[in-house]
Amino acid sequence: MTNELSEEQVPSGHHASHAEVVSNLTTSLPVVDVEETTKNLGNPVISFEHVSKVYDAQPKKPALDDVSLKIFPGEFIFLVGHSGSGKSTFINLIIRQLKPSHGSIYIANEDLKSMRNWRVPYLRRNIGCVFQDFKLLPNKTVFENVAFALEVIGKSRHVIRTQVPEVLRLVGLEDKANKLPDQLSGGEQQRVSIARAIVNRPPLLVCDEPTGNLDPQNSRGIMDLLERINRTGTTVLVATHDREMVDNMRRRVIELEGGRLMRDQDRGVYGRHV
Amino acid sequence: MCTVVMSSLFYFFRESLTGFSRNLSTTLGSIITIFLSLLIIGLFCVLGFVVNNVVASVEDQVSITCYVADDATDADIKTVEDYISGLDGVESVSFTTKDEAMENFSKSMSSNTDIIGQLDGENPLPASIDVNLSEAQEVSTIADAIASNETFAKICDEPSDPSSSLQYGQKTVDKLFTLTNSIRYIGIGLIVLLVVVAFIFISNSVRLAILARKREIEIMRLVGASNGFIRGPFLMEGALHAIIGAGFAIAVLEVFHRVALPRISSALPWLPINVTDSTFILVYLLLVVAGLLIGLLGSSFSMRRYLKV
Repeated sequence: MTNELSEEQVPSGHHASHAEVVSNLTTSLPVVDVEETTKNLGNPVISFEHVSKVYDAQPKKPALDDVSLKIFPGEFIFLVGHSGSGKSTFINLIIRQLKPSHGSIYIANEDLKSMRNWRVPYLRRNIGCVFQDFKLLPNKTVFENVAFALEVIGKSRHVIRTQVPEVLRLVGLEDKANKLPDQLSGGEQQRVSIARAIVNRPPLLVCDEPTGNLDPQNSRGIMDLLERINRTGTTVLVATHDREMVDNMRRRVIELEGGRLMRDQDRGVYGRHV
Repeated sequence: MCTVVMSSLFYFFRESLTGFSRNLSTTLGSIITIFLSLLIIGLFCVLGFVVNNVVASVEDQVSITCYVADDATDADIKTVEDYISGLDGVESVSFTTKDEAMENFSKSMSSNTDIIGQLDGENPLPASIDVNLSEAQEVSTIADAIASNETFAKICDEPSDPSSSLQYGQKTVDKLFTLTNSIRYIGIGLIVLLVVVAFIFISNSVRLAILARKREIEIMRLVGASNGFIRGPFLMEGALHAIIGAGFAIAVLEVFHRVALPRISSALPWLPINVTDSTFILVYLLLVVAGLLIGLLGSSFSMRRYLKV
């Protein structure tokens, strides 16, 4: 963990120890603004422009309220906030399960608001999704679960036969390919679901509470895996409650509270008052 | 591209077959109702052809006989004949003299020569103008038109009431039309009922199939399976139910065609049953198309309600 931290800090000139960084942050916060200017890494993968989402059930209380931000290729981002702060709405807007009430969302320069319904599946092929409850098919083996994602988008058997073992090797499950999900531990099941999310090599991976059901040790393994995936160039967005993980990894943190963007901070920590 | 389409179709087929075994009872229910409704549709179609044949042969025989008084002049008769042949729906007009009428009468009464003998050589039968119709349903309109003609009123057998000098099979024709119409209405009502039942059964079994595959559908949406790909298996399932049901209905109808129909026509030789093989093939095609429509509509109905894509 410490290794990876310094690895991250050296190129940007931060030589401060862990403790110093934390105390610095404490003094500089609460700052709603970006702490360090976001490096421009080309066109943003995700761009929110004054996005609000109001559910019919609660017209007075928007789930997202005037959120603007940009996410660039290759970033690793934590999305933090209490339950009900709008994290899930944020993720559902990205994969266009929901449409914004106001404002615009662009994914790879494509406007989700004007996107035709029949194009939505093609958007989703470029976004891998991982959820807290894994969403594996209980009657299919590990291999079949991963293969299913390729099968239903019409990939050939040849592609399936080469890509599935490769991705299972990446997540460290090559020897469990023929097991059923209930024969695996929670951490292993989440690895399967990550494998399924990335088997089609999407440029963006979105995870909603990926470690919510896992013990700390398994959680660390999953985060390591997500970080490795990020290093291959995939943009990774993780919504999480896992304070320790966020504090240890020191990546860009986006905090939502009551639907508002409270903080967008490079190398941030989970809470504002640590 | 071609192989992709083929493998998708294969996938749809496989998935819809697993749907069959998963909900065997509802699947059987929808197949049986679609079979019954298609069978009845088919039977009514065949019956309709038979009834049409019967009606046509009866209609051929519909004619109007206009009795003419004995003292009518040839010129008046000629005027009336010209008038009648000018009417719509009249095919031909011919004249039967008193002697011809007597001849016809004695022919039809040949087994009963007493009656002729009792006439003592007198001829009480009137001459008549015989009108053949091309449109049997117009028979009463045409009869009214003839009765109201002034020349006819002058020469008719009973000048006080010209319409009583006209004779036609009005009642027979009316009865026949009432009968065929009520058969038609009962048939349509029954078919509508059965189609609704089949529709409900199919959409219900597709709904169960959708619910059983809820998780798979959710994952398919997340990994970006196209809408058509998600819907395919369910459409295929509805269509398969329909085709299997139609297959059974066609088989039963074919048995009816080969076995029952020849017996009926030999038992009732006066009934003009001339249903050709090509008529049957047409009916079978109709059944397959109707079944497919019911199946596809039934499954789309469920998909609209239960399958969010």
